[in-house]
Amino acid sequence: MLVEIHKLKLNLGSHAVLHDVNLTLQKGQIYGLLGPNGAGKSTTISVIAGLRVPTGGSVRVLGLDPAADALHLHSRIGVLAEQAGFYDWMSTDDYLMWFASLYQRNLDKTGVTSLLGRVGLEGQSPAPIGTYSRGMRQRLGLARALINQPELLILDEPTNGLDPRGRREIHDVLLDLSANHGVGILLCTHLLDDVDRLCTRIGIIAQGSTLLEGSIADLLSAKRTSVRYRLRVEATETAQSLPADISLLARTGDWWHVEISSAVEPADAWRKILDAGIRINEIHREGGGLEELYMAVTEAKEAA
Amino acid sequence: MMNTITLIARKEGGELLNSGRGLAWLLALSVIMSVLSLLLVSNTELSLLDNAQVVYMVMGTVTALGALLAVVLGSDAVAGERERGSLMPLLLAPVTPSQIVFGKMGGQVAGWFVMYLLSLPYVWAVGSSGQNLAQAVAYLALFGTPVVLGFGFLGIALSASLRSVRSALFTSLITLMLLASPLLLGPSLRQSSIGKLFDAVNPFSAAVNTFDSVVIDSQPLSMQMSRLAITLFWLVLTAVFAIRSVRKMEI
Repeated sequence: MLVEIHKLKLNLGSHAVLHDVNLTLQKGQIYGLLGPNGAGKSTTISVIAGLRVPTGGSVRVLGLDPAADALHLHSRIGVLAEQAGFYDWMSTDDYLMWFASLYQRNLDKTGVTSLLGRVGLEGQSPAPIGTYSRGMRQRLGLARALINQPELLILDEPTNGLDPRGRREIHDVLLDLSANHGVGILLCTHLLDDVDRLCTRIGIIAQGSTLLEGSIADLLSAKRTSVRYRLRVEATETAQSLPADISLLARTGDWWHVEISSAVEPADAWRKILDAGIRINEIHREGGGLEELYMAVTEAKEAA
Repeated sequence: MMNTITLIARKEGGELLNSGRGLAWLLALSVIMSVLSLLLVSNTELSLLDNAQVVYMVMGTVTALGALLAVVLGSDAVAGERERGSLMPLLLAPVTPSQIVFGKMGGQVAGWFVMYLLSLPYVWAVGSSGQNLAQAVAYLALFGTPVVLGFGFLGIALSASLRSVRSALFTSLITLMLLASPLLLGPSLRQSSIGKLFDAVNPFSAAVNTFDSVVIDSQPLSMQMSRLAITLFWLVLTAVFAIRSVRKMEI
């Protein structure tokens, strides 16, 4: 187990910021930490990284106590914080070489080129970092987090400011790290699409407490959350013959927005629709059950 | 592989001395020292000031300017990095608070060293025809360095605990003005009981009074030991304050 958090509590002064946070992350897994603004996600990350000492509960990261073994832990983890700051007057090469030496690693020009290539920054001119766009800085931040070949990667909003191609490239890097190198990744993001594409396990926290934690498949199945799809059907089709567990939400020309109950497997749903004589030309998943799950859980917490 | 303090110090020194900010500071220092030296030399030519007195005044001014540089750099050291988002990566690297503090101090040492070297021609220009010039150069290093670096540590400590460059700079400057006030106070005020007490515990007074005793009164080092102890105590005290502040810093 890379990260094990049980009933984490953290008070800042007299204010209780975290009450009951639970999280488990295994080797090679990508974990999505979700929650509204101010829920305590970044604070949880700071505890995991050993920057804050918990008031209660237990926290083990790579088998270490982060508060007591921070220095040792830092040499084995990589973190991309939400605000990726650099020394703007330095060139990328100089900065990465300097940062690597803080880890007692000798990163040469070839190593820098390889690292930059990995995050899609290859072939950049040796201009100062201050001239970089937000997306380039985000990529550089990821390169910095990978500099020590970490066993655990903690990423706070890693695709912020990236264009669609950039997001896809970063997704590919993260999938490669987890699948082929066994790196555990804790992904803290507001973008459910990122979570949907990358994560197998999530935790939703709000007001300093974990509301839900587990594998996405199990949670969706347990919560029986419906999933929305956009279907392109023949313009002449009517929705009267749709099966009972598939409901039509809206219709725009030959596009139907439908919701399928989680009790039905998508493949079975398509078969039922076809059996009803409706021809489907295209299928797109919309937001998906994850969004519904997130909304349901956080709204319930706010209502409480 | 270089040790962590040296790595951070080299980065800090490079940032200071290769940047426009560093060049502007050195240019400003040169202008101030040139104007001051011209004024003082013209006064000595008119026999309004003793030559040793002029050297003493230059030494005090260099120490005050060094302390000013130190509080500016110190105030930016942690809070500035926090505001620019570059502090978090440093805290998440395998680096201890002490290494951060001493590394950043290394950059300030480089700045003070350049400033000290730059001031030597001015000290020579105003004092070459007078007494105790060699002592002036040596005592400026011996007593000026702990005072200046102490202000650097103070700036770092306030920068870490106040979390804002502006607040840290304001507080550091007030402290500097308070401690450097002996340069501005007249002898009668300094002879009062409060003035004497202030002089007895103030590291800036200790350095300035030593410059006075050595350069003007030609006293030996053995008579300056209590003052040297005050400046070294100030250096250690502010260093401990800085390390504790960075260690307890809220993210």
